[in-house]
Amino acid sequence: MRFYLLFSLLLLPGICWGKVHVFACEPEWASLTEQLAGDHATIFTATHAQQDPHHIEARPSLIAQMRKADMVVCTGADLEVGWLPLLIRRSGNAKVQTNKPGYFEAAMEVERLDIPESVDRSQGDVHSAGNPHVHLDPNRITTIAAALSKRLAAIDPDNQSAYIEQLKTFQAKWNEHVSKWQLKAKPLRGMKIVTHHKDWVYLNHWLGLQELATIEPKPGIPPSAKDQKRLLTELSANKPDAIVLAPYQNAKAANWLSQKLDAGIIKLPYTVGGDGQSQDLFNLFDRTIDLLLSAQRAIK
Amino acid sequence: MSWQDLSLILPAFIAGIIVVASHIPLGREVVKRGIIFIDLAIAQIAGVGVIAAGLFDIESAIGTQLFAGGAALAGALLLIITEKKLGRFQEPLIGVLFVLAASLGLLMLANDPHGGESLKEMLSGQVLWVTSQHILLSAAVLLPTTALWLLLKNKFGEAAFYPLFAIAITASVQLVGVYLVFATLVIPALATIRAKRYPLLKGLTIGLLGYGIGLLVSLKWDLAASPIIVWCLASLSLLFAFVFSKAKQLNLQ
Repeated sequence: MRFYLLFSLLLLPGICWGKVHVFACEPEWASLTEQLAGDHATIFTATHAQQDPHHIEARPSLIAQMRKADMVVCTGADLEVGWLPLLIRRSGNAKVQTNKPGYFEAAMEVERLDIPESVDRSQGDVHSAGNPHVHLDPNRITTIAAALSKRLAAIDPDNQSAYIEQLKTFQAKWNEHVSKWQLKAKPLRGMKIVTHHKDWVYLNHWLGLQELATIEPKPGIPPSAKDQKRLLTELSANKPDAIVLAPYQNAKAANWLSQKLDAGIIKLPYTVGGDGQSQDLFNLFDRTIDLLLSAQRAIK
Repeated sequence: MSWQDLSLILPAFIAGIIVVASHIPLGREVVKRGIIFIDLAIAQIAGVGVIAAGLFDIESAIGTQLFAGGAALAGALLLIITEKKLGRFQEPLIGVLFVLAASLGLLMLANDPHGGESLKEMLSGQVLWVTSQHILLSAAVLLPTTALWLLLKNKFGEAAFYPLFAIAITASVQLVGVYLVFATLVIPALATIRAKRYPLLKGLTIGLLGYGIGLLVSLKWDLAASPIIVWCLASLSLLFAFVFSKAKQLNLQ
């Protein structure tokens, strides 16, 4: 009896071996991978919604997880350039080096906005590959999902048919939600917002929100006194409906502007886990649209 | 905890050994002279050098290092002069130099967020992510620098100390970050400053144990490594200082 018990304990890790270990840089990609891989993957998420994905602190678990990863699913387009290349190099894991199929950059699968014609330092923290915050456009998610599913199947060919099946299920449900969201969000077209950083570009593009200004004069650079003055004169003439803030951003500058202009601040979840209700990609968009709509109603 | 887990923190521990070995002798000097904040000032000035390299569009690692080292050496030169002319006010002057360098960095950063990232990295340090290449390079700078200081100390005094210190700090800050460099310099030196016998050996022991235990704690509870090592160094020093003083009392009786 004892022998069998020990024997079955030995088999236990064997069950896990069949799973694809995925290292997801941000919660949105962890959520998408979960939708597409289901039980065939175990997913580790490196950052949470309250963290700025541009910078993270080194912890031992990050290296440990990167070592055993079969696949890295990240935003890419230089968003994680401050830590991901270092971490991948440090892990020494051959499967996830940047030229291997185990390395997946979501942003590079879709057309990106704000690709600069030339990059120089005077423009601020500009990504030469364009704006990386692509996950807030559901149509781009559709494209990324197809590419990610294909990649999962290439890495785990034994379960290819399962991935195809899961993708179909996801796409059907997703498309249905996207049409629902688009219908519901129609009144938002033309809503005037001020943002902190250029991370809402894709949402604005999709919903037709009008971004009047960003509080940061250039990406990654805090405003100077002159910038603040310019912001105030511009926005006093053309008042925003709301100031939009992500959970990981400091509310100081937004509060200042909100007082000066007498405009409300909406904290949007920005990504999965950004607030209590946004637990996956579906209710992330549900919640974002609801919050924007109620902010709009509050003005009228 | 398996061997594989331990290999996660091994490079960080080797980096720690190098920093401890090179900084304990320097730290004694810093505490003896009462110029505690010199490392913060020098690191900040080296940071200004990194930003300046960015402004001149210098991308290569060596070019950046030359800028950082050059700036740090210039700062060291200034400190030799002030110590000669205004020795009594050396500590407040070092403080002033620190805020000047930090503010200059902010002014220069107004248009360069990439410099800002390198500066932030330099301050907080990511000891867990050091690679073997990084370790070898730093060892090649740090160990000879300290050896040179031990050789020249009696002959040249401060004329040798400030430049060598500037070089060492520029290298170590990039390896483990300012907080750890400060802690490694000052805390073990403070705990052993009254020790009559083997002060360096005692300092080295505290330093190595601090890094070792700190990294193990970081591994066990998945905490950011640098801050927890700082706390381990401080707790160990307190413990050692207490044990040393008790031992001394017993010897006297």
